[in-house]
Amino acid sequence: MSWETVIGLEIHVQLSTESKLFSGGSTGFGAEPNTHVDLIDMGLPGVLPVANKDAFYKAIRFGLATNAEINQTSSFDRKNYFYPDLPKGYQITQMGMPIVGKGSLKIMVEDQEKIINITRAHLEEDAGKSIHDLFEGETGVDLNRAGTPLLEIVSEPEISNAKEAVAYFKAVKQLVTFLDICDGIMAQGSMRCDVNISMKKAEDKELGTRAEIKNLNSFKFIEKAINFEIERQIRVIESGESVVQETRLYDSIKNETRSMRSKEEANDYRYFPCPDLLPVVITDEELNEIKENLPELPGQKEKRYISEANLDESEAKIISSSKTMANMFEDACSKTNDSKLVANWLVGDISALLNKDNIDIEDSKLTSNNFATLIERISDKTISGKIGKSVLEEIWESGNDVDNIIKEKGLVQIQDESILENIANKIINDNPGQVEAYRGGKDKLFGFFVGQVMKETQGKANPQSVNEILRKLLD
Amino acid sequence: MDKKTVTTIAYLSRLAIDPKNEDKITKDLENIIKFVDQLDSVDTYGINVLTNPLEKTAKTRDDKVTAKNRKDTFLERAPESNEDYFLVPRVVE
Amino acid sequence: MSIQFKTIKDLSTMLKNKDISNKELVQDTYSLIKSNVHLNAFVTLNEEMSLKKAEELDKNKFSGNLAGIPIAQKDLFCTKDLRTTCGSKMLSNFIPPYSATVIENLENAGCISIGKTNMDEFAMGSSNETSFYGNVANPWGSNLVPGGSSGGSAAAVAAGIVSAATGTDTGGSIRQPASLCGITGLKPTYGRISRWGMIAFASSLDQAGPMARTAEDCAIMLNEMCSHDLKDTTSLDEEIPDFTSDLSTSIKGLKIGIVKEFDLSMLDNSVAQVFEESKKHYESLGAEFVEISLPNISLSVPTYYVVAPAECSSNLSRFDGVKFGKRCENPQNLEDLYIRTRSEGFGDEVKRRILIGSYVLSAGFYDAYYKKAQQVRRLIKNDFDNAFKKVDTIMTPTTRGAAFSSGSKGDDPIQMYLEDLFTIPANLAGLPALSIPNGMVDGKPIGLQLIGNFLQESKLLQIAHNFQISTDWHLKTPSEDIN
Repeated sequence: MSWETVIGLEIHVQLSTESKLFSGGSTGFGAEPNTHVDLIDMGLPGVLPVANKDAFYKAIRFGLATNAEINQTSSFDRKNYFYPDLPKGYQITQMGMPIVGKGSLKIMVEDQEKIINITRAHLEEDAGKSIHDLFEGETGVDLNRAGTPLLEIVSEPEISNAKEAVAYFKAVKQLVTFLDICDGIMAQGSMRCDVNISMKKAEDKELGTRAEIKNLNSFKFIEKAINFEIERQIRVIESGESVVQETRLYDSIKNETRSMRSKEEANDYRYFPCPDLLPVVITDEELNEIKENLPELPGQKEKRYISEANLDESEAKIISSSKTMANMFEDACSKTNDSKLVANWLVGDISALLNKDNIDIEDSKLTSNNFATLIERISDKTISGKIGKSVLEEIWESGNDVDNIIKEKGLVQIQDESILENIANKIINDNPGQVEAYRGGKDKLFGFFVGQVMKETQGKANPQSVNEILRKLLD
Repeated sequence: MDKKTVTTIAYLSRLAIDPKNEDKITKDLENIIKFVDQLDSVDTYGINVLTNPLEKTAKTRDDKVTAKNRKDTFLERAPESNEDYFLVPRVVE
Repeated sequence: MSIQFKTIKDLSTMLKNKDISNKELVQDTYSLIKSNVHLNAFVTLNEEMSLKKAEELDKNKFSGNLAGIPIAQKDLFCTKDLRTTCGSKMLSNFIPPYSATVIENLENAGCISIGKTNMDEFAMGSSNETSFYGNVANPWGSNLVPGGSSGGSAAAVAAGIVSAATGTDTGGSIRQPASLCGITGLKPTYGRISRWGMIAFASSLDQAGPMARTAEDCAIMLNEMCSHDLKDTTSLDEEIPDFTSDLSTSIKGLKIGIVKEFDLSMLDNSVAQVFEESKKHYESLGAEFVEISLPNISLSVPTYYVVAPAECSSNLSRFDGVKFGKRCENPQNLEDLYIRTRSEGFGDEVKRRILIGSYVLSAGFYDAYYKKAQQVRRLIKNDFDNAFKKVDTIMTPTTRGAAFSSGSKGDDPIQMYLEDLFTIPANLAGLPALSIPNGMVDGKPIGLQLIGNFLQESKLLQIAHNFQISTDWHLKTPSEDIN
């Protein structure tokens, strides 16, 4: 009498092209409303779409990395429906001949490996944005996003619980960021997913009726929405009713899914081949060039960090798992030549801060440049490692520049040996009792002297020098 | 072509059918469909569809931003807008 | 010197010889428009800009092939800053922020776009009786239709107001009005002329083309209209010949196909007779007639009336009252906005075609209708490919009869659809075709259609030109007392 959950994910990945899928409008995020809109994005009468070659190349990278069939000839279809942020009254998508066919992705769920099969990945244009809360009684439409290329990745319904769903979503995020086809910035809507979920009894051969939860854009919401929906569907079935095939939205405040109050069910999309777009052919030469220039994937980076940068396996694994972190690592290493130091900071303090705030590194205020500078200042002993920690915390809160922080707070490390010697001598003279006890064999008291010097210098003394000087004076 | 079908396709097309004309429209649509049913008279098994008369493939474009900001031009042509957005009656999701 | 009924060639010569200034030519054109206002051929006039351009041309010599020639532009082409309506209420206030490529091409050749011509709403119709801006009258008889959808352009040329106009042809909308108005009109191979800026009705069928008094003038226009446009991926990247260079070459030995399946007994007696006489004339010019078979041709009209409505139902979805065009008053909610805007903005024929289109694309009917029609379309194209192995061109009447009275097709849409029986096949196959006047029936002009193989516009124009230098049907003009 046990329930089985059947989940399939449709992940929409915004491809990081400069311009839109069918026009020369900019895809840049955060611009003023309706300033990145081309005639074509407006759907003005008489305009025609022209496909962006780079969107195809990026989609193909995904296909190659998931061992998928690449359809070198692919075509576009129209999906017809009415909505204010859909300017043409139809979306150009790929139904019949998608660019990428069947593939697969390995995911890790609590240290267990599982393969999730991917049905297809196709190109389609994103819609604009409808803003419901800004104007009294009206909805504002911003078409900046209209026409942005999306890669829709459709998984087989092989996911069995919320944790697997999140693991799969994370694996896709990692892959698309490493492939340089998406920036993975969830907060900017670069990735979103729809979850198709149905319940069945273990002994049932057929799948249950599925509901679709649309537009989930964080790991947390995916997990919560799925768990709520599982309970909801079980309740519905156990009460003798049937699950309705419908689209639902997740309300994160109430932690529930709600049916979308529209005549969605009457929506027949009337797909047909887009007569304005002839099929696009990717040549063998183009395909080979993409193959040869595929960016390094996590596994490859991990191996390279171990062999070339002398990292140990766990360090290499952590750093290579995030494209942003990997970039930061490589960037900082090239500037400081001290890969172990760089790795320590990433795996230690920075990872701790990420865990505490439950964010990914690209959502933090730490930039690659700033990180590299921080490491440089520690490496060249401008500041001590300990001071470095407080600088990092400051950056984490404010995003302020390393050198500005050091200057404003006067954190430059004291390295002048004569100054340090003076201070050490003062401490020794002021504490004759401890000196005697130390010289008498209480080795642990060494730390007391170090502590006093650091206190006297407000932590700015170079700890190594302090150690050497005290040893010299005390021993 | 029953009334329900006409209502459904009218809704899909976002067109209202004036009750006064409903019968005539239904009759017209029926006749047109009957007329095009002639297509059944020929066997098309295994024939490839012809979506566009040109037997060629598309030219694509390079990934370059070529559009300028034309916000004012577009918004001033809208039936309802403010200085930043196109406006429609409030949509409840 | 009167400019009425002059050809492009005539007017160019007059301008060159300074028999008339550019400004006078434009002014005379507007006088003709005014004295023919009962035709209702124009929706929007461009007087201020036209006079300005003419004055500039008078000051600075310009050597474009159409320098100073007033051209009437079908109101389906977007013209920057000049209202473009498509004959619809929906776009009655639409000012495009850009111009169609074909408009730019013609204006770069020096022409003066004197105004936008009336047309069947969104190019759907064969009589110019569906325009929101009123019917267009045929200069040959004000109770007669000029044909459609390019009725306004045809009337403007037939009345001698302009030497040439642009039209568009999806199922015959250039050729059929050309036939009913006694002028020459050509639809080129699909893809010859860019569709950028041409408001879409049925994307895989629409083509722009010239309408003028002679095949030669059509060739002159075509030279300027054609281009390979990167903004239109369905635009052909083929060499564009000089369409005027081979016009006079003899057509001796030319093989002209007569379609077996077009039973000419379906034509009015006099029309069949006119057709037979044209055949004899071509024989006298050295052409040879060969019977060819287009076995699936009788399915052209049903095929068209699945494909065209399907594409148009999607193309017209953008007219929703959100971004441009008209919107209903005080929409209560989004659904109300869409439904009332579209129901008020579109006329009955447009609505009918959108409904049919939505139907044939809907789940459950797609395979039986849309997919089936696209398969039959392939068969029709194959038939033409086979025929052109045996002949150089195919000749048919353009229409079943001469111009009919306004309102005479009654309430049955199918009666109107059958008007395009002879013209539709060329659109389905993407082939070039033209219509030239070849006789009179009850005092009304009638036309002859020539269909050519892919990219064979030059040949068609040559065959037409040979006819026109040895006959005078194209020289006939409506007499003044008709109106």
